[in-house]
Amino acid sequence: MRVKQLILSLLFIFSIVTSSLQASSHEAPTTVEEEKKEYKPKSIGELASSFWETTGINAILDTNDGEMTAEPAGSSSERLMTAFESSLGRIIMILIVFALFYLAIAKNFEPLLLIPIAFGGLLANIPLAHMGGEHGMLGVIYNMGIANEFFPLLIFMGVGAMTDFGPLLANPKTAILGGAAQFGIFGSLIGAVAIGFDIQSASAISIIGGADGPTSIFIANRLAPDMLGAIAVAAYSYMALVPVIQPPIMRWLTTKEERRIKMGVQRKVHRLEKLVFPIVVIVLSMLILPESTPLIGAFAFGNFAKESGVVDRLSDTMQNSLINIVTIFLGLGVGSKLAADKFLVVETMGIMIIGLLAFSAGTAVGVLMARLMNKFSDKDNQINPLIGAAGVSAVPMSARVVSRVGSEERPGNVLLMHAMGPNVAGVIGSAVAAGVLLSIFK
Amino acid sequence: MEVNLLGESFKFMILGMGVVFLFLLVLIWVMKVQAQIINKYFPEEVPKVATPKSSQDEEQKRVAAIIGAVSEFRKNKQNKV
Repeated sequence: MRVKQLILSLLFIFSIVTSSLQASSHEAPTTVEEEKKEYKPKSIGELASSFWETTGINAILDTNDGEMTAEPAGSSSERLMTAFESSLGRIIMILIVFALFYLAIAKNFEPLLLIPIAFGGLLANIPLAHMGGEHGMLGVIYNMGIANEFFPLLIFMGVGAMTDFGPLLANPKTAILGGAAQFGIFGSLIGAVAIGFDIQSASAISIIGGADGPTSIFIANRLAPDMLGAIAVAAYSYMALVPVIQPPIMRWLTTKEERRIKMGVQRKVHRLEKLVFPIVVIVLSMLILPESTPLIGAFAFGNFAKESGVVDRLSDTMQNSLINIVTIFLGLGVGSKLAADKFLVVETMGIMIIGLLAFSAGTAVGVLMARLMNKFSDKDNQINPLIGAAGVSAVPMSARVVSRVGSEERPGNVLLMHAMGPNVAGVIGSAVAAGVLLSIFK
Repeated sequence: MEVNLLGESFKFMILGMGVVFLFLLVLIWVMKVQAQIINKYFPEEVPKVATPKSSQDEEQKRVAAIIGAVSEFRKNKQNKV
C-alpha cells in the first residue's frame, strides 16, 4: 500500500516537471491544426500531465506558457504576455477586483457600475479562458457596444430621460456654474501633459474631470482606447467619492456667511419651456459644435421623449429597462480592460492622480465662480456659492452633497433644487467640452 | 521640430473653456427669451395652478363620498351575512 502511494506521488511530481519543461520549450504556442487529431492511447501519467497543463494553477505558476494578450486577432498590439502579466499581475488584479467589490458592497460606491465592472475584471483575468479576447464573452460585448461607442450613447439617452431641466430653466444663470466647473477638464489636461502624457492621451484622461461616466468612456475610446479601463474605473470611483472629495474643498473656499445664504423658492416653469428646451440645445450644438451631437443628441432625445408626455412607455423604457441592460453590458465590457496587461501599467497611477486633480479643480472653480457671480449681482439676488460645486456633473450625487453641506450649516436650508441647475448644466458643459476635444483631434 | 506641449494644452484650455462658456451663455440667453415668449403667449397654464378650487367645497364632497362608500360597504356586508 505504502509503496503504491509513493509510486503515484513520484509519477505526479515527474509529470509536473516534464510538463513545465515541455511548456517552456514551446516555440510556437498557437499552432492551429485543421484536421482532426488521431487519438492515441495515453497512459494515466500522460493524461494527468496534459490535464495539469490546462489548469489555472499551472498557467499562473508557469510564466512563459505563451499566452497572448487579449486583442482582436491580427491587431498590431497583440503580443505575448510578459511573465509578470500572466502570473503575479493576475493575482494583483484579482485582489484589486475584490477591493472594488468591497467598495461597492460595503461602502455603497456606485455599486450599479462598480459591480459589473469589477466582475468583468475578475473574468478577464482568468488564465487560458480568453474571455476578454475576440471570441470571449467580454470581448464580444466590448466589440458590440464599446469599441463603436454605442453603449455610452444609450446610457446618455436614459440619463436624458431621467433629467428634469426645470431647475435650470427657472434660474438660467446657474448654467454659468456648470460651465466653470469644466475647468476641471482643461486644467487637468495641462497637469497630465506636465507629468509626461502625450497630448492625445492627456485629453482622454482629463475628461474624467467632466465627472460623467458615459462621456469619459466615449472620449477615451476615441482618443486612447488602451487606457479605457483605467479611465472608466477612475471616473466611476471618483464619482462615487464625490461625497468625500467635495465637502472639504467647498468649506475651504467659502466663508460661513456665504454657506448660510438662503435662496428663494424657484419660479414655476411652464411645460412648454421644458418641451422646447431639448430642441433648443440640439439646435445650438448643431450650429456651434456638431462634433458633440452624438452625446447631446442622445441626451436631448431622451429628455424630449420624457417631456413630450405622450410616449411614457418609451421614456419609461429608456430610464429603466434599457439603461439597466446597457449598464450590465457597459460594466462587463469596461471590466474586460481590467486585464493585467492593460491595467497594471505605469500610466494607471498617473490617470488616478490626474482624475483626482480634475475633480478637485472642477469643484473649486465652480465654487469660486459662484462667489464671483455674487460680487456682480444685487443683495437680494445672491446665490449660495455651495451650488457651484454641483457644476461638475455627477448627477445627482454632487447636488445631493451640496444640499447636505448646506443644511449642515443652516438646518432647513434646502439647496437641492437650486443645485440641480448647475448640475444638469454641467452635463451639457462636459458634453460640449468633449466635443471640443474631439474636434481638435479630428 | 520641438513642440511645446504645455503651451499647446494651454491653448486647448482657452479654446475649450471659451467654447463651453459661449455655448452656455447663448443657452442662457435663449432660455430667458424662450421663457418670456412662452409665458407671454401661452399664459393659461399658470393661473390654473395658482387658483385652486375653494377647499371647503372639495372637503364636503370628499366627506360625502366617504359616507356613501361606507354605507354601501355595510349594506353589502349585511346582505352577505
